[in-house]
This record gives sequence, C-alpha cells and structure tokens, in this order.
Amino acid sequence: MRNPLSSTRFMEGLFESDYVRSLVVGTVGVFALLGLLGLLFPDSVAGDLAGIVFSTSTATSTARLAAPIVLAGLGGIFAEKSGVINIGLEGLLIISAFVSVYAASVVGIGNAVLGVPALAVGFLAGIAASTLLSAVFAVVCIEFKADQIIAGLAVWLIALGLAPFMSTVFFGGVNTPNLGANVGWLYSAILVILATAGSWWLLNRTAFGKHLRAAGENPKALDTVGVSVSKVRYAGVLLSGFLSGIGGSALALSIGQFVGSGETMVQGKGFIAIVAYLFGNYNPLGTLGAGALFAGLDAIQIRLQQLGYAVPDTLVQTIPYVMVIVVLTLVGRTQIPEAAGEHYETEE
Amino acid sequence: MSDPDADRSASVLARLVGPFVDRTVAERLVISVAAILLSIALGFGIVLVSGRIAECSTAAWTLPFTGVGFCYDPVEVYVVLFNGALGYPFAVGEPGLFNAGWTPLNLSFGLTLSETTLLIFTGLSVAVAFRAGLFNIGTQGQLVVGGLATALSILALAPLLPAGPVGGVVLIVIGTAAGAVGGGLWGAIPGALKAYADANEVITTIMLNFVAANVAYVLVLEVFRAEGSSVVATEYVPEYAQLRPWLFPTSSDFALVALLIGVGFIGALYYFVEHTSLGYDLRTSGVQAAAAEYGGVNAKLTTVRAMTLSGALGGVGGAVWVLMSEGRWLASIPDLGFDGITVSILAGNNPIGVLPAAFLFGILKGGALEIGFRTDVPTELVAVLRGLIILFVAMPEFFRMIGRYAGLGGGGVGPAAEPDGTAGGEGGETDA
Repeated sequence: MRNPLSSTRFMEGLFESDYVRSLVVGTVGVFALLGLLGLLFPDSVAGDLAGIVFSTSTATSTARLAAPIVLAGLGGIFAEKSGVINIGLEGLLIISAFVSVYAASVVGIGNAVLGVPALAVGFLAGIAASTLLSAVFAVVCIEFKADQIIAGLAVWLIALGLAPFMSTVFFGGVNTPNLGANVGWLYSAILVILATAGSWWLLNRTAFGKHLRAAGENPKALDTVGVSVSKVRYAGVLLSGFLSGIGGSALALSIGQFVGSGETMVQGKGFIAIVAYLFGNYNPLGTLGAGALFAGLDAIQIRLQQLGYAVPDTLVQTIPYVMVIVVLTLVGRTQIPEAAGEHYETEE
Repeated sequence: MSDPDADRSASVLARLVGPFVDRTVAERLVISVAAILLSIALGFGIVLVSGRIAECSTAAWTLPFTGVGFCYDPVEVYVVLFNGALGYPFAVGEPGLFNAGWTPLNLSFGLTLSETTLLIFTGLSVAVAFRAGLFNIGTQGQLVVGGLATALSILALAPLLPAGPVGGVVLIVIGTAAGAVGGGLWGAIPGALKAYADANEVITTIMLNFVAANVAYVLVLEVFRAEGSSVVATEYVPEYAQLRPWLFPTSSDFALVALLIGVGFIGALYYFVEHTSLGYDLRTSGVQAAAAEYGGVNAKLTTVRAMTLSGALGGVGGAVWVLMSEGRWLASIPDLGFDGITVSILAGNNPIGVLPAAFLFGILKGGALEIGFRTDVPTELVAVLRGLIILFVAMPEFFRMIGRYAGLGGGGVGPAAEPDGTAGGEGGETDA
C-alpha cells in the first residue's frame, strides 16, 4: 500500500480486470503469429520454431513439466490467501517426489497392494508425505508463531537434506534406481486441469473460499463472525501440502526415478511455482497460464537444443525469474493479502 | 508507512519491534543453544531409525538390554562429527581424555576453519540486512557475482602488475574491492526495487539468485572459460594473488589471514551498526520505519544502502571463496549464502554472534566430511541438522512454552514476551 494511490489504482485495475484477459490474448497472439510465420517461411528459423511449438512432443513435455509448477502454485495460493506465506513449496515437492518413488519401489512395479497398483500407491504415499511435512510447517507457524519465511526456508532445507539422506539409506546413493515404469503425460495434464478447476471453484464459489480469503485479508472480521482463523489457516497450509504432493509425485513418477544430486530433480520448480501464482495474480487460471508458459519455454528450449540450435539452456531458464522481477516491480506488493505473514491471536 | 489503517500499522510495528526489543540477548542465546540441542537429539533419532532400516551384515550398535541391533551407531556419528571436525583432539577408546599427538594445525581443523571463514562473510551479509528490517535471501547470488568480479578483475590486471608479493597484495586488494562492488551492485537491485517500487525483497532476492547463477554460468561457459577446462570455470588466478595457507596444511585451503580479516569485519560492522549515525538510521528504520522517517531518516535511501552493504559483504565472501578456497571461479558453488541465513538467524542477527554461529556451522560442515570418511551414515545428515536448527530457532514461542511448563517462568528463558494480543512477538520481517 505504499505506492502513490493513483498508480496503485491504475495497476490494480489493470491486473484485476484485464490481467488474465491480456495474458490469454497475448499468448494466443504470439502463437498465431508464429504459426503464420512458420507456414509462410517453412525453411527459416521461424519454421523450425513453429514446428517445435506445434509438435506433440512439445505439448506432452510441457504437460509433464507444468504439473509440479502449477500444482505447487495452486497450493501456494491456498496457503497465502489464508495468511500463511509458504515459501517451502520446493521442499514439499522434493519430499513427495522421493517418497512416491520409494513407495512404488517397495511395492514393486507390477505388484499391487489391496488391488492398488504400485504407481498409485507411490502417488498416494507422496501426497501423504508432503501433507505431513506441511502439517509440521503449519503447527510451527500457527501454533508456535514462527516467522513464516524462516520456517518455509527450513522446510525447504530439511527436505533438501532428508530426501537424499533417505535415498542413500535405502538405495545406497542420492539417486534412486529407475522404477522401470512411469505414468504417462496424460495423467499430469488431467491432474493439472482438474486441480485448477477445483481450486477455482473452491476459492470463488464456496463458503470455505470466502473464509480463506477473510483469514488472509481481515482475520479479525472472520473471528468476529465466529470462524476459527487458526482452523482456516491450517486448512490452507494443508491444502498447499496436498497439492504440492500431487505435483511432486507427478514429476517423479512421470520419469520413474528420483534424482537427489545438486538441487534434486525439483531444481527450483517450487520457487517457480511461487512466481507462477504471483504472475497469475493469485488466480488459479492465471497460475495455470503462467505455469504452462514457463514449462512451455523449458520444453521448447530442450527441443531447440536437440535440433542443434546453440541456445544456452540456462539463459532460457532465466526468463521466468526475470519476468517475475519485472512484474513485482510493476505491481509492487499491493496484491498480497493484507494479513499474510502476520500471526493472529483470538481475542476472548 | 503511509498506511491509513492505524490499527494495522500498530500491529506491524509491534511485529517488527518484537524480535529486537522483547527478546534479550540472553534469551536469544538460550533459544539458539536449545535449538541446536533439540536438532542434535532429533538427528540422533533419525540416525537410529535409518540404522534400523538400512541393511548391513553386522550391527554397529546394539540397544542396551534389548539386544536390538542398528546399522549406524548414533553416538559414533556425533563423536566423529564434532571430534573429527577438530582433528580428533579427544582420544576415543584409548586411555586418557586427550589425544597426545593432536595439534591444532591439522587438516580437518583447517577445513573447518575454512568453512567458518566463508560463513562469517555470508552470515554478516544476512545480518546487516536483517538489522535494517530486510530479509536478504540473495546473499548466494551476490556471492556468485562478487566472486566472478574478483576472478575476472584479477585475471585482467595480473599481466599489468609485477609478479610477486607486492603485486599479489595489490591484486588481492583490488580483487576483493571488485567483489564488494559486484556483490554490492547486485544487492542494490532488490534494495532499489523494494524502496521505490515496493517489490517484496524476499521474492526478488530469491529470483536474483537464480538469475546470477544462470547468467554467470553462461558468461563463463561462453566467454571466460579457461582453455581446455573440462568444467565451467575461469583460469586460475596467479598463485601469488591467492590467499595461501599459512601454518595449516596446504590442502585445507585455509588462510589464517582471511579469518583475521573476517574477524576484523565483525568488529567493524558491530561498531558501524551500534555506534555510528548511519548504523543508527539503519537500525531505527529496521525497527520502526515510520518513526525513523519522522525523525528525518530517509527510509528509502536507507533500504538501498542496507541492501548494498549486505550485497557487498556477500561479494567479499565470494572474493574470499575465489582467492582462498578455489583459486578460480567455478560453476559449482557451495550453498554458502543459504548457510549464511542460518548463521545469521542463529546469531540473533548480531555481528558478534556471527562468529560462534559460523564456527558451529564450520564444525558441522567440516565434520560432514569426516562422517563420509569414517562411517556409513550418509553425510546429508548434516544438511538435515541445518534445516532442523533453522526450524527450531524460528519458533522461540515453542521454547517459551516449554520454559513455562517446566516452571522456569521468566527465569531461564527471559521475560515472556507478549506485549499485546495482536502482536504475538515474532516475525522480524515480511510486512505484507
């Protein structure tokens, strides 16, 4: 709220009413232009690029790469709307990615537990692990009033150590062996679409969504109405764990392996998820758009390299980060829920 | 803070004041020590549980009375961790408490002190920003940029200056200054964005970490890569322009002079924050921006200055990393900036506290190598401990509650700090 009022109003108007629309129009426009150029000059770089962008392999890898970003981003919306900034999304993705692969390998590909096949068991176990870790984060933040940013960092760092640690204990190395089977890209795409639609409905069309927004914007009012702010915030944080769990499991099981070296196979996707929901202005649809955009850029970059174009991939990966800095600079912090990061105590 | 909502301003104020006024130094110390002990206890449990799960032919440790065997010996892990990090000053399993053949100038202790030295700079970097009410998660990026500036400036100037000790000192001074400028400029970006565009510095600094790592990687890969190098790295800077080990074994990569410079920085920064008018501005705008503004402090400019200073310290950390540890800029940069956050938080963001906190983390990181050499326990255990320590330090209310339940009241854990209903005490940063 520190921008001069006029400019704040202008930006708010721009982003609230037209933001998603301009994002959609802009994206469609770029695609149309590219398609046209590709058709007119099939032998040029534009032709190659259009061939890549409109190929099925790009679409499928975009779906795979977008799943962890969009799902963790949706989770981040729920946590932050409720008033708890969760920058531990990266850690939640890491822990679910590892646990899903571990559980699937314990059951054994081709086997089943009570009729549930190994990959599905892995999926559920990953979600459970991530939800559990987010519950720890919630207790620390809500019950013990920890600084949310520091606690979120701790969640990331704990997962960053714990997943390779457990992998070494169980498999003798930070990378797990490959399961030898993986879930198809279609599952990722369906999960992303279902979760986005569900989140949008939950946030905008239910009483829970209203309570969630109130807990983040004006907890006192919510308290006055007789709704427990703590409970709503717990629900918000647990949902972030649940959704990130789906994302992390989808990421690892679409590859069939957990890679724990360096920054693990998650490689900052949890932070990109934060970027995605800020970029999408806390709107699930916007988050889907931003997540798909970042994932698409990554997918195109991979294909470009396969075609022999020397685009340094690290430079392409930098684009989302630069974009978010630009967006943050333009809109400032006016979009963040008023009470996010603050502790609330019931007045009795 | 031109917030019209007075109620909200009051709560933000209380939140910001909380960590610096309510919590006494003694209380912070108690909480830090308690957090470390609790993490070690939890780590003990983790080693036990994973030792039960892992497979081995003979049990390394058996639970007394029950005969249940474990693959990892949790006692041994900590003996190796702390004793090993110092080069085994204590004799284990032999008669006598102290190891007669021990000298402080050993390789393991050198590695521990090398980590300590680097963490002093990154810890100070985070601490300075924190004192101004800013959370700089970007020390890692500032270190990357600073280190690259150091390496490139020395490589560019080395041919122009005489080779030898005199030229070496000049190069080291210029290189370190270049690191400070590089890191400072990189830190000034989120500072300016925060001050003039109100962009949340937590997010921008995280983003700039990725940008710094990626851009520096591409720059070195495409332009500055050493000829014939199999990794992405610059040329080595000349040996006479490196900080060389003295007294300690060469392979420990620990220069005593760097540690002394680090301690000097601690003193200088403590003096700056506590006893200069600029330091006063910094602290007051960190504690209560509105009051500082009223008192004639330019809060926006102070924000930029604080982030620039913080970034410059991160940049010096990068310079020391290049000149002392690696001798060149190398793409695989350790997580020194993130560890600096832990160090600063553990130190209560006090420059003096950074020294013991950095030493503790030096021991943990030095000891991790020993764990790798001498036990089967994965070295990632230390990374888990690091995360747990941060988590516990972040929740002082937990320890206050334990203190109250244990009947210590205000005695052991300081005054129960809850000024009013809405404040809740904690949350030094993140004003939304």
